[in-house]
Order: sequence, then structure tokens, then C-alpha cells
Amino acid sequence: MANDKTSMQLISRGILSENPIFKLALSMCPAVGISTTVMNGFMLGIAVLFVQVFSSVTISLFKNKIHPRIRIPSYTLTIATWVTVIDLALAAYMPEAYAKMGIFVKLIVAFAIITMRLEMFACKESVKDSFWDGLGMGLGFLVGMMVIGLVRELLGSGTILGYDILGFKPLLFFILPSAGFFVVGLMMAFFNWIEIAYKRAKGLK
Amino acid sequence: MKDILTIIMRLTLSCMLAATVMGVAYLTTIKAKKHNEHVNEQKVRYALLGYSDQKPIPGSMALHSIYRYVVSDAGNQTIGYLLPGKEGFIFVTLDLEGKIVDTKVVKVEESSLAEREERDKIVRGIAGGKDVVFADQTIVVTDNGQRVAYLLDGKFTGFKTFIGVMLALDPQFSLLGLEILEHEEDPGLGAEIEQDFFKNQFKGKTFDTLKGMDVVKEPLPDKYFQALEGNIAEADAAAILKQYLEHDIYALTGATISSRSVNNGVKGIVKKFAYRLNILDAVLAEQKIAVAF
Repeated sequence: MANDKTSMQLISRGILSENPIFKLALSMCPAVGISTTVMNGFMLGIAVLFVQVFSSVTISLFKNKIHPRIRIPSYTLTIATWVTVIDLALAAYMPEAYAKMGIFVKLIVAFAIITMRLEMFACKESVKDSFWDGLGMGLGFLVGMMVIGLVRELLGSGTILGYDILGFKPLLFFILPSAGFFVVGLMMAFFNWIEIAYKRAKGLK
Repeated sequence: MKDILTIIMRLTLSCMLAATVMGVAYLTTIKAKKHNEHVNEQKVRYALLGYSDQKPIPGSMALHSIYRYVVSDAGNQTIGYLLPGKEGFIFVTLDLEGKIVDTKVVKVEESSLAEREERDKIVRGIAGGKDVVFADQTIVVTDNGQRVAYLLDGKFTGFKTFIGVMLALDPQFSLLGLEILEHEEDPGLGAEIEQDFFKNQFKGKTFDTLKGMDVVKEPLPDKYFQALEGNIAEADAAAILKQYLEHDIYALTGATISSRSVNNGVKGIVKKFAYRLNILDAVLAEQKIAVAF
């Protein structure tokens, strides 16, 4: 099954029409748990982006060597390897950020979005396409995390990237994990609305 | 069924490949990681003494490390101290009653003692084939040759696993500060031992207060809490903190065991240290051994 999309289409698909958080509703746990600030969302997004791209490329490279019966263990092994590498690199070169999000980095192994991309895309397509697909999905996750983080940080602590914007704290509720679901829900509605509006404008349906 | 061999083969191969990648990553990052830990340790030390990047440590101050080893030889245990002398290092061995066994002058560079493995090897060489086990490291801080503080590393059991701390004491063994370096207590409960309002309660406790100190299961008074967290002006805070100076430690809500472990752990470390240091000082004075601190 050959892929008929260009690299740009693959990237935009990951960010917009198949955004992991807002469209596929995958990996909600970290999205809700860690996206309390823009910076946290950005850091985890970057880590996921790297793991996704590396894993997609690795699986795509070895796709003919992976026995179909043990493909899921193989994916997990691949993801775990890259997560460990990212984990070690972060601990060594960005110790301050690592102190904050260390436990979440290890959790990337279990992120549904990565396994799902390997199963749906990387194990069938060429290395080049897998790279673009992984990049798109990783960027989609990164953008999603940052948008949620932006809303929660602004409404929860009145700041953006640590700079005081509002001068007061509107709603403490948005810092709490349960508020993450509200924000994700609102964002999903917003993305759907944009998509429908866009289709109408183009007269598609 | 015939697939099983291929599956085993491929899984083994991929595991080995993964292990290689991880091993390479580990080897390339370990140096930076060690460096970070070292920098972090140094920062904690200076912070406990009241210095930071903005307020650097004065040049007249010096940090001298004392390494304590347990030397055992055919069931016979002695304690070995590796001390910085005026020139080079001195290895002093004491028996369990605190009587001197022997002293040796050691010619090593200070930098070669910073890494534990290297240091252990050197000490093993000095002890001449006896079994040596590293016990702990103490730092004596001097200002113009006068002792101004001690920095102690310590580890004790908490509610779940070990709690690693660093303590700063003044020459009368009053606590100057406490820092929690590592722990695995429950987030939201025992992990609150990291919070200023808990660990700052130990600040300023004198040796006499510390000896009989316990934890109390009472709510932390709000005024005291604000003072410990540094939310109020320094002069007011000092007055409030003074008021509670001889008070027991207020246990954390829902984490009495963790609070008690820290209290007992700190007490134990300070009491043992004071006992050992007095013996060591007496021996050093008696034998007229010139040390750097």
C-alpha cells in the first residue's frame, strides 16, 4: 500500500486534520497531567516529537524484518530504547527541566499515539514518508500540548511562559488535572468548528 | 510452532541492538550527568552556608573534606580517617575505644580523592590489604583558619525508602540548615519534607534542643508557617522563628512517619557526628597531628 500524500500533506495532516490530541483523542493522560504551563507542554511535546520521529524511522527501516506475531513487543522495544536515550540526554544536558518532568518522560513508552502511528503507518510505508508522518504527528502533539498549556496557564495562574499577563489568578481550577479535560473538550469543539466552517466556505458540503 | 525459533532469534537480536543503542547513549551522557550532580552538590553546600551565585563565598573560607572509613582485619574493626594535613593527607586509624592505632602521611593530590572509586582504591592501598568500607564524608568549613561550620551528608530510612540529606552545623553543633537531597516519599504526603515550612523548622535548633527533640501532631501555626516560608519581612520573621526555637518539630499532616524519620535521622546524624568529632579532636590534640582545619 503506497502512500500518495506529499511530505507537506503528511505534516499538515498530523497538525490539523488528524491532530493526536484534538482529533484522535489519544495520549490524553499526559495532555491532561502535564500541560499546566506552556513551557511544560513544550518540553514534553519536544520529547514526544523526537521519540515519534526516531521510532517511526526505525520501524520503517526494519519493517520487513519484524515478525508479524511479535510486532507490538518490537514497537514497544523500539519506543523504550528511544525514550531511554532521550531520558538520559535530558538528564545530562537539561537537568533543571528534567527535575520537573522526569517521570513524564519515562511514561512516553506507553503513549498510545506513538504505537498507533507505528502500527498504522510506519510498518507499511517507506522510510521517507514515515519520517514526515512522525514529524507531523509529533508536531501535532507539540502544538496541542502548547495550546492547552497556554489556556490553562493564562486562566489558572494569569501568566504566559512565566510572565505575568493578567496580574491576578482568575481560576485556580484550571491548574488542576480535571480542568485539562475541559480545555481539551473546548479545543476539540473549536477545531471541529474551524473544519466545518472551512469546508462550508469551500462549498464542499 | 516453527515460527518460534525465528521469533526468539529476532527478539534477541533486537534486544541486543536496543541495548547497544542505550549503552552508547549512557556512555556519552554519564560525564555530563556526573558534572551536573557535582555542581548541584556544590550549590546545595553553599546555599546551606548562606551563599549563592549573587553572594559568592569569600576567599578566606576553605572547605576541607574528612573521609571516614571502616577498616576491618580478621574480625578486628578500626576506624580510619583520611584527613587533609598541612601538606598532603594524613590517614589516622583509631580503635573502637578511640585510642590511636597508627598514622600515616599520604602523598596524594586532592583532586584524585573527589571520585569515590579512585579514593577507595587509594585508601585500600594505604590500609595494606585490609578490608576497607567507605562510611561518610564530612566537610569542615574554615574562615581564616577558624572553624565556622560543618557540612554532613547523611542517609536514613524514611517511610518508603531512604532519605538522603545534607546538614550544616556550626562549631557548637547547632543546626544551620537542612536540605533534602533525595527521597522517594509519597507525593503530596511524605514528599512535603522538601518544603521550606518543614525543613526550615530545623534551622537554628541548638545541640541541647536537638538531643531531646520530638515531633508533635499539632497544626502548624499560621504565623510560624508564613515565617518559615519567608513570606513576611525578615525582622518580623526572625522574631517569630525565635519564639519557636525550642519547640518540637510540627509533623506534616498525613505524614507523621516521614516527619518522625527525618527528625530521628537528623538527630542521629548530629549526635553521632558530635561524638566522633570530639574523639577525633582529642586524639589529634594529644598526638599533636597538624591538620588543615
